[in-house]
Amino acid sequence: MLTDIIKAYNEAVFETDKEAAFLIVDKALASGLTPEEVVFEVVIPAVEEMMSLITKDPDANLAQHFMTAQIASEVTEAMLAKFHHPPEVIGRVVIGTAAGDLHSLGKRIVIGCLKSLMVEVADLGVNVPAERFVDEAVGRNAQVIGISAMMVHTATGADGSLKVRRILRERGLEDRIKVVVGGAPYRFDGELYKTAGADAWAADGITAGRVIVDLIRQAKTP
Amino acid sequence: MTPLEILVAAATGQPAPRIPVFCNLLDQGARELGLSQKDYYARGENGAEAQLKMLARYGHDNVWSLSYVGVEAEILGCREILFDDEGSPNVADFVIKRYDDIAKLEVPADITTHPAWQRTATCMKVLRDEVGATHAICAYITASTTLPAILMGMEKWMELLMTGPVDLRDELLRKCSDFCAQELAAYRAAGANVLVYSTPFGTTGFVGMKRFLEWSLPWMKMDLAPGGVDGIVYYCGMAPFNNVIDIVRTELGIGVYYISPLADLAEAKALLGDRALTCGVIDDIKMIHWTPDQTRAEVKRMIDIGKPGGHFLFGTGVMPLAVPEANIRAMLDASFEYGRLP
Repeated sequence: MLTDIIKAYNEAVFETDKEAAFLIVDKALASGLTPEEVVFEVVIPAVEEMMSLITKDPDANLAQHFMTAQIASEVTEAMLAKFHHPPEVIGRVVIGTAAGDLHSLGKRIVIGCLKSLMVEVADLGVNVPAERFVDEAVGRNAQVIGISAMMVHTATGADGSLKVRRILRERGLEDRIKVVVGGAPYRFDGELYKTAGADAWAADGITAGRVIVDLIRQAKTP
Repeated sequence: MTPLEILVAAATGQPAPRIPVFCNLLDQGARELGLSQKDYYARGENGAEAQLKMLARYGHDNVWSLSYVGVEAEILGCREILFDDEGSPNVADFVIKRYDDIAKLEVPADITTHPAWQRTATCMKVLRDEVGATHAICAYITASTTLPAILMGMEKWMELLMTGPVDLRDELLRKCSDFCAQELAAYRAAGANVLVYSTPFGTTGFVGMKRFLEWSLPWMKMDLAPGGVDGIVYYCGMAPFNNVIDIVRTELGIGVYYISPLADLAEAKALLGDRALTCGVIDDIKMIHWTPDQTRAEVKRMIDIGKPGGHFLFGTGVMPLAVPEANIRAMLDASFEYGRLP
């Protein structure tokens, strides 16, 4: 039965059909699955499946990324309210767009994906000053700062991730807090993230989930 | 031959001394005139003066009407543009903040009377008078399916598109398509002869094939129907679109395709052949870090692919301000050298 539920849920996500995904979740709960099983046996594997599919499928598209994250986030939120015990959070992330950048879609996809992967995310919004990224990361004990930039000058400019890197270095936080970047310019130059002072980058919002979880594991506990 | 004649020869398969070479040096104009981006974009004369100076220095084949994406939003009610001396202007005030605002959105009956258009009109007049007979004058027009992203932000537009009320979505698209058709006509009347139709939703990288066929394609037809496809360049915001080239060529009849640096140029050229003009676009984000020799090598690689059989143009993408002057020169020198025709 679980195999059928997973298959049907994956198909709904792949077809960007939110209504169908929720119907499958409701049926799963009615058939005896616990909310915990829905999240850990259905939703998280579906996100991981989409990560894999997006890498392989040339026809994977932005609409699928958006809806995958949206559905995963909404289902997870609905299930968390029914959990018997709060789930263990695997890490904490602060995320926002670089100073001067107002493009919020990529960030939203990443946030939806991370929430379903049991990562605690603080959304700092758009046009975020470098100092705030670091202060919020320290204040929230986050292991990762995520910086989205859709324009070349906000991706590589002095006020964006480069400044975040400089502040982390000056404050001796580089081992403790990792920096990940994403956005259109990085797709055109796979080495650009290094110029931007980041530890890693992700080609899209869904695979960013995997990259960030890896970075959380690399960050040293204070 | 003039650059414009060289462009026409490439498009029609006639003999010419070389391939056309396009270079987008729009944001560079502020630096050229020693102005801030805000001051530069405030007057139409600035855009024309800077473009003409750079044209004289580099010798490429095209100029741009003074434009940034936000101009379209300004004509539709945007009150704030975020200027940055390091890069392109950015819309800072979304015209549509709530779904209710879609009903209030008004497309001016004549967009050429709007103050934001006057800067463009002034720039176009100078360019048309100075080089209109000899060079390509480019204009940037956002497709109806993409314009909402500028009016409400990409996040909210994606939300409306994928999960919102269909009637509201279509009401917005009708207004955007009306605006797009008007803008195309206004640019043509002002003297633009290369109309870069920016349609990121015209690729399956943004929406899947089903939605492309059932939704993107009909709206593109609606945008282009009133004025036809003369001078239209199919451009998907640097996203690859090889897999829909045949469909677009057949369904829309567009004759010029601006191929993403992320796409297989040889495949695109093979798909288009002599049926349309293939524009090979260099990855100018990599040009930020390349050496002049690396830049030359990439130009050669691209022209080796595109030049055989003709119907090929060499072009640039967004040309970030961070691209060094030496690489701009290396790219253009190499494109003229390797682009020579027998």
